Amino acid sequence: MIKAWIFCWCLVIPLVPISAQTVTVSSFELPNGLKVILAPSNNMQAAAVCVYHMQGARNDPADTRGISYLYQYLMFDGNENLEPYDHVLFVNKMGGIVSGRVNYDNAVFFETLPAQEINVALWLESERLKSLRLQDANIDYHKNQIFNRINRLWESSQNFKAQTWVSSKVFEGSAYEYPLYGDLNKIRFLSNDRIRENYRNFQDLANILLIIAGKFDINELRAGINKFFQDIPPGRKPSNPVFSAHNQRKSFLLKNWMIEGLKRNFVVYGIKAPAKIGYNFMYFDFLRYYLTDPRFARLDHVLNIVNKLDVEIESSFTDYMEANCLTIQISASKRINLEKAKYVLEKEFQALSSNPISNSDVRAVRSMMEIDFLKSMVSLEERCLRIGEFFHMFGELNFFDVQLKRLRKITSYDIMESAKKYLVKENQVVLNVYDK
Amino acid sequence: MFMTNRISQLRCILCFLGGVLFFLGCSRELASETRLFSFTTSKGLVVKVLQDNDMPFIQAQLLIYLDGNSQNYTSLAISQLMAMNMFERELNSPPSNLMGMLQRQGNDYKVEQNPEYVKITMNFLPDRLAAFPKLLKEIFYYQSFHLKKFNQSKEKFWSLFAKNRDWKKEMAFLLAYQQMIGNFYFSQGLLLQDILNRINLAQLRSFLLTTFRPDNALLILKGKINPYFILGMIEKDLPQPSPRQSKTKKEGITLNANRKIFVLNVNSAEQPAVYWFDAAPAVTDVSYLPYVIGNIALFGFPGGRIYQSEKNQFSMAGYKVNTETYFLKKFTVFCNYLRLKYNDLENFLLLVDQERRKFVVRPIERKEYLDALNYYIGRAQVETSRFDYDLQAEIDRFHSQGMGALAQPIGPQIFQEVSLNRVMQVMDEQMGSRHRSSGREKGIVVLIGNANLIFNNLKILKTEALEISMD
Repeated sequence: MIKAWIFCWCLVIPLVPISAQTVTVSSFELPNGLKVILAPSNNMQAAAVCVYHMQGARNDPADTRGISYLYQYLMFDGNENLEPYDHVLFVNKMGGIVSGRVNYDNAVFFETLPAQEINVALWLESERLKSLRLQDANIDYHKNQIFNRINRLWESSQNFKAQTWVSSKVFEGSAYEYPLYGDLNKIRFLSNDRIRENYRNFQDLANILLIIAGKFDINELRAGINKFFQDIPPGRKPSNPVFSAHNQRKSFLLKNWMIEGLKRNFVVYGIKAPAKIGYNFMYFDFLRYYLTDPRFARLDHVLNIVNKLDVEIESSFTDYMEANCLTIQISASKRINLEKAKYVLEKEFQALSSNPISNSDVRAVRSMMEIDFLKSMVSLEERCLRIGEFFHMFGELNFFDVQLKRLRKITSYDIMESAKKYLVKENQVVLNVYDK
Repeated sequence: MFMTNRISQLRCILCFLGGVLFFLGCSRELASETRLFSFTTSKGLVVKVLQDNDMPFIQAQLLIYLDGNSQNYTSLAISQLMAMNMFERELNSPPSNLMGMLQRQGNDYKVEQNPEYVKITMNFLPDRLAAFPKLLKEIFYYQSFHLKKFNQSKEKFWSLFAKNRDWKKEMAFLLAYQQMIGNFYFSQGLLLQDILNRINLAQLRSFLLTTFRPDNALLILKGKINPYFILGMIEKDLPQPSPRQSKTKKEGITLNANRKIFVLNVNSAEQPAVYWFDAAPAVTDVSYLPYVIGNIALFGFPGGRIYQSEKNQFSMAGYKVNTETYFLKKFTVFCNYLRLKYNDLENFLLLVDQERRKFVVRPIERKEYLDALNYYIGRAQVETSRFDYDLQAEIDRFHSQGMGALAQPIGPQIFQEVSLNRVMQVMDEQMGSRHRSSGREKGIVVLIGNANLIFNNLKILKTEALEISMD
């Protein structure tokens, strides 16, 4: 009998850490179709409210590209009951934080504030959805601001120009081909009426998720959501399936730019990478960590420590849902070093495609990825974003354990296969920028 | 007989199910609260464990006290080179044992330095906890100094130092700290190549022996940790440190935060940055919280007087002032900072002076006080969403021997501790007329930007400003 008891308890005890690690997410829907997602955590005194728009710059009509990017700024410009920036001041005054951004696939607006003030955030967000101020003066002001800012950047930075060009070639034919802000020459002449008209689609409730994370009382929260959101008119359900991985064309593209008075020669690599919804994304992400993350920085090690080339390496990754691009920029004061760096980089890519990386490196990078993933699930804003993105892509809420399990199973052979597929020459766009 | 057996079996099953439910309930209950365990090992290392069973990874913060060992040109250079040689990833050739261990631990670490301590923050997965004490041992008994790496660290010092960090703020703080406590003042450039070149490896080794010791450090761990297990492992793995040389008794700190303006010349196209440093009561002091509330009423965004005056008086763009607090052992430094246009520099500095003077003449109104208090409580609540929010409170509690004002949970009692009268009294003590020497304000101002442009835009304050070059 005692043995049976011990056996039973042995079965129960391992359940405890699993239950402690899992992030519980639930959802419900208002009669007007607004989907509400809840991710509670009671060990804090704060809450985050996130309005996740399941559409972004990629959904802009071709003749009004950049319209969504404009909303990023107009969203803070007041509404029927609030003056411009009152929204930010309101939340800041109570010690909270406001942020928001429009991307290609989505647009997100956050408030993180003391838990007992959650209704204020709900009210502010509902006001924004109901009656955003879209007057000619505001719109014109932001159109000019965007034009001037991007134009200044375009005029002053060769790197910005080069990276924009590489990105447009990598994403040729996909939803990400054009910059977020659209066509700079057209942006000032966008019709204000079209901007107002399109906002109806942008704030369509069928395309919006209201995600709430942190500490809250579920009954009070439900009452608050009903109070502020139930009178918003229902939206129209989108008819087409949301995402599919885009097959990027495999062809090597090389271009040289000669620029007068350039201080440092540089080369920009645009590497076509798998879609976030694809199965291979995690393996490529591993490669990105391995090569470019400053904590591991394999490229830096190979180029600067092993080969002593004294080059500067910058990198960025797009993190889009249907296709991606890893941009690596290498610059050097001596042209010879830059040419050597290109050769070494090519060899490194070949080595990754033909030999598995060491188990200790796999373990090190994997644990870095796992720590980052776990950290993102602890931060309120990041958690809202991840939940929203996952629901947007797959229509599922509980992904935490699945993602973690997949992450822990990555092997060196998965990485080699990914390198074989994505680090090949046909998958690259290369732009050399030299001093004339 | 058969019936009795069945009943007893049923009882057993019910008992077991009850037990399971009770156990799971308790474990959930335990999971949601953080418990603190404090120890001092036989080697003198103070260990604090914040057991949080909900946290899916472990954060460790190791503080090694410098005790004023960075208060002149040479020792500042030694302490910076020391951290670089041990922890800089780009200098890992030939590979050191410590870097290998850090990599195996997950490679997610950060090293920060202020004039009082070096803080090493590491995040790792729970399955690496058992290897952590060995990593500690490697830090305390580091022996992988290498001449080639050492020379490289001197050669590439600035490019490595400026990488991935807000080095301007760090430099400004160093300068202000020196000004506040030192009997020595930086008057030449900071971390000049000449000084770096004169440092040798023996100086680094000797610095390591005197400062990187378990009995000169504090370790805080947070996560799902068995505190007795980790204590046992640390006891087992850390060897006894060599006997400590008797320390010369230092004189108490005399704070001297009289107004000075420094200009750090940097060739950069960015807008200039203004850092305004004030020495405030230590976090242990009863005046600390009233000072915080006063500072919010003055510099806070959007309710603070300076922000409101900026908009009304100078028709400036409405600059937002950020505030950062450095919690030190004996006092606290408040750093209010912002970036602004060159031609707004002098207006802003004069505006701050004016508002600080007015603070005593036109006392804080009840509304301003309540707004500031509300902001403080709200911000403290928002901060609880960060996984490391309670680690700093533990450090303060350690520095203050358990009397930290921040150590208490945020609650209604704060209204009793920080009355409006108390705030006004403290602000008068800190900024009032009897503390101004010859009519001048307190506070160290550091301007970082193109010195020529800065001086061209200073008219009234030009004669006060002192230029210091950056290497």
